[in-house]
Order: sequence, then C-alpha cells, then structure tokens
Amino acid sequence: MSVIIVDNVSKRFRIPKEKRSTLFQNLVGVVKRQLEYEEFWALQDVSFQVEKGETFGIIGRNGSGKTTLLKILAKVLYPDRGAVTINGRVASFLELGVGFQPELTARENVYIYASILGMGKKQVDKVHDDIFEFAELKKFQDMKLKNYSSGMYLRLAFSTAIHAHPDIMLVDEVLAVGDEAFQKKCLAKIEEFRRQGRTIVLVSHNLGTVKQLCQRSLLLDNGRAVSLGTTDKVVTDYLKLLQGTT
Amino acid sequence: MWQYRELIKNLTTVELKNRYQNTSLGFLWSLLSPLLLIGVLYFVFRHIFGNEPNYLTNIIVGLLVFRFFSVGTASSLYSITGKPSLVTKVYIPRHILVLSTALANLISSLLEFLVLLPIVFLALGHLPFTVAFYPLLHFIYFWFVFGAGLILAACYVYFRDLNQIWEVLLNVLFFCCPIIYPLSIVPDYLMRYYMLNPVTRFMVIYRDVMVAGQISSVTNFAFVIAVAIAAYFVGSFIFNRMQRRFAEEI
Repeated sequence: MSVIIVDNVSKRFRIPKEKRSTLFQNLVGVVKRQLEYEEFWALQDVSFQVEKGETFGIIGRNGSGKTTLLKILAKVLYPDRGAVTINGRVASFLELGVGFQPELTARENVYIYASILGMGKKQVDKVHDDIFEFAELKKFQDMKLKNYSSGMYLRLAFSTAIHAHPDIMLVDEVLAVGDEAFQKKCLAKIEEFRRQGRTIVLVSHNLGTVKQLCQRSLLLDNGRAVSLGTTDKVVTDYLKLLQGTT
Repeated sequence: MWQYRELIKNLTTVELKNRYQNTSLGFLWSLLSPLLLIGVLYFVFRHIFGNEPNYLTNIIVGLLVFRFFSVGTASSLYSITGKPSLVTKVYIPRHILVLSTALANLISSLLEFLVLLPIVFLALGHLPFTVAFYPLLHFIYFWFVFGAGLILAACYVYFRDLNQIWEVLLNVLFFCCPIIYPLSIVPDYLMRYYMLNPVTRFMVIYRDVMVAGQISSVTNFAFVIAVAIAAYFVGSFIFNRMQRRFAEEI
C-alpha cells in the first residue's frame, strides 16, 4: 500500500527583481508597472510513491530541490501543479525543537513540542520519563531551556520527536545530533522504527547513512527526478552525475 | 480543530506566560498603562464632560472595550511573522497561531473586566442585573476581533509596513469612539455614519449593559452579531487564500 503518492508535482518560486515587502513599495510598483519577479522552478514534474514501512531516501546536490520536496510533503509549501496524497499521521523533522521556548522549563517544552507534533497530554504523560531517559537529561527536567547547552537542546528535541510515534517521518539531515554514542542510539532507534513498519522519508548528503537505511531512493537534479529505484543504483547514478560535472 | 485543542491550549499558555514574564504580578503591571490613561483622561476632561452621569465609569468601560480591539488586533498582527519556525518548519493549521494569540487576549481582557466589576459596584452602589449579558457580549466581540486579526496577520506577512499603518489607524479609531466624550455631542447629521463603526456599537452596548442597566436595543445587538459573523468569515476566507505562500514569504 502506498502511503505517499506524489503525482507530477511542480513548485515555482518567485524571485523578486527588487525586494518589495511593504504596501508602499507595492503601490509604487503598480504605478511604475514593472515586472515584479522572475520565476524559478524548484521542482518540475516529480512523481514517485512510497510504500508503507519503507525507508525512502532523497539525494541530490545543493539546490536540487530536496528540501523543497520535503517541505511539500510536510504541507509547509503548496505545490503549484500536481498533487500529493498522504495516508497517515505525519511528523516532519525539518528542524528539531520547533516552538521551543527558552524561558520555560524543559518539562514544559516537551509538552509544547509534543503537542505541535500532534500528541495529546495523556500520551505525553505516558512517555514523559522515556523521553528524558533517552535524552539522558533526567536530572535537568526543571531547568529553564535557555540554560541548556545546544547539545542538550537537540537531544531533548530529538528524543521528544521520536516518542511522538508518527506513521510517517520526514527527516531532513537531523541525524547529526550529539556525540558519536548518541548518534549510534539515534540510528538504532530509526532502525527500530523501520522494523515496526513505520514509513520514513530521509533527505541526506551522507550517502553512507542513506545506503545503510534506505531500500529505495530518488535522485533530484535541478528540480527534476533523474533516477528512482534501489538505493545502490541511485547512489551510483548520483556519483556519475557528480563526476560528470567536475 | 478538536484534535489540535492541546496545541491551542499550550500556545495560548505560552503567549500569556511570555506576556506576563511568567509571574503572577505580571498581570498587575499590565494594568498600569490603562490605569494611568484613565486617570489622565478623567482629570483633564472632567472639567468639560464631568456633568455627564457616570462619567468615570463610562471612561473605564469605554477604554477596556477599545483595548480589547486595539491590543487584540495589534498583537494578532504579529502572530504569524513572530513564530516563523512554526510556519516554515512544521505543518500546523496556521489560523491556530492567530487563534491562540486572540485567546490569550481574551483572557487578559476578561481579567481586566473582572477588575472593573468592583469599580462599577463602588461607583453605582449596585451591579446592574444586565451584567449577566456580559459573557455573551464578550463572546460576540471576540469573534469580531479574531476575524480582524486573521486579516491583519495574513496581510502583514506580505506587507511589512502594515504595523505602522495600523498603529495610526488605531489612533484615529480612539478618537472616533465615544471614550472621552459622550455620544450626545456627536451632531445629528453625522450620527448615522458614526454608528457604522463596530467598536462604537460594541461600546454603546457594553455601557448599556454594565453601567446603565438596560438591555440595549435589538438593532445594536443585530448589528454587532452581523459584523462579528462577517468579520470571521471574511477573515477566514482571506487568511486561507493567503496562507498558501506564507512559508515562502516569511
């Protein structure tokens, strides 16, 4: 069963010729009758499907449209053409710790972040101890978040995020969290997710991680889907592409 | 909407905690500015309008009604741009951001009116029974402010000078409402236009209900209910149209 169906999706960005962000500038623009912006297609006719329980990788060079695609899957951006169908509860990790409030304690922040990820209070009550256990922050539950180090901050965010138990996870390069040991723990957790039959879409520059985790992948280049299939094949295509340009 | 109740509750709480610096005295500090304004207005203008019945009480009620609109809309204006990561990094229905700001304002405003009640009691010697209409009235007013907030928050994403324009308009509005002066000094030929201002209309009803002890007119109620429903639907419509490109513009 496909849980994500991306059908001919295109995304256009407008690059303003001059920065025009006030009402006044817009009024002046109307009077002058200039062309307001250039168009830039960040994605063009991208189609693919992700099956339930699959770990799917998206790779490509900088500026190839990976993050744009992930944002469209996360419903943060709307496609200009085409359609995206998603069956299941999505949690997107485009950034960890979205909505964290420095002035509040870690415990309060866990509840806020969890509710952003779609959890109810009772659900959080249940996994509350596990979250701090996994993040190795049991002693610092009532500390204000502004006194956390950036490592602690990310560990708390990651730990909260993985305890939200979504059906589909959209992950953007967030595996680089904490020290070696914690990273191993994170990879193990993602492996566990896979075994539980959850779907993961992963965007990464780290080909090693992609090879290790993903069965199938998609290669984007200049907003077009260049290669789609088993990760080994797609990674080979990607390396060819890189060689071709240098 | 129901599945997001937890999130709405949390965001509203965060808004209030940040506003009052996480202290219980924080709310009292926020009363300082309106109290000072009321004091100044009363001592300056009582020489002109002091003979009006219940002049001081009417100033206070008028100012609190005005504040709900002015503070409510001015803070809703920033409710999208002030939380960029909740727009660009994660999907939540974006009107929740405006709603939680509006709800935080509703709670502040309810607290302000709670402080007002003993003052009305002291000034009149009794509380009019029509105060019972207050919750309904505030509920209607809330939808009006929320609707206006939706429009402002969405437009501010695209037009970043709207906050300054709005500040000026709020200043104009302050003098277009019968806060300092009584309604009776508005000349007859202007009256029909003057009463088109929804905030004035709300103010008249609040004063009828809370000070004069009368139920106000059906026309007034019908007017504000119609305006509140219209503001909410127009606001939602505009907001939904504009929110598609929020993540690109923010």
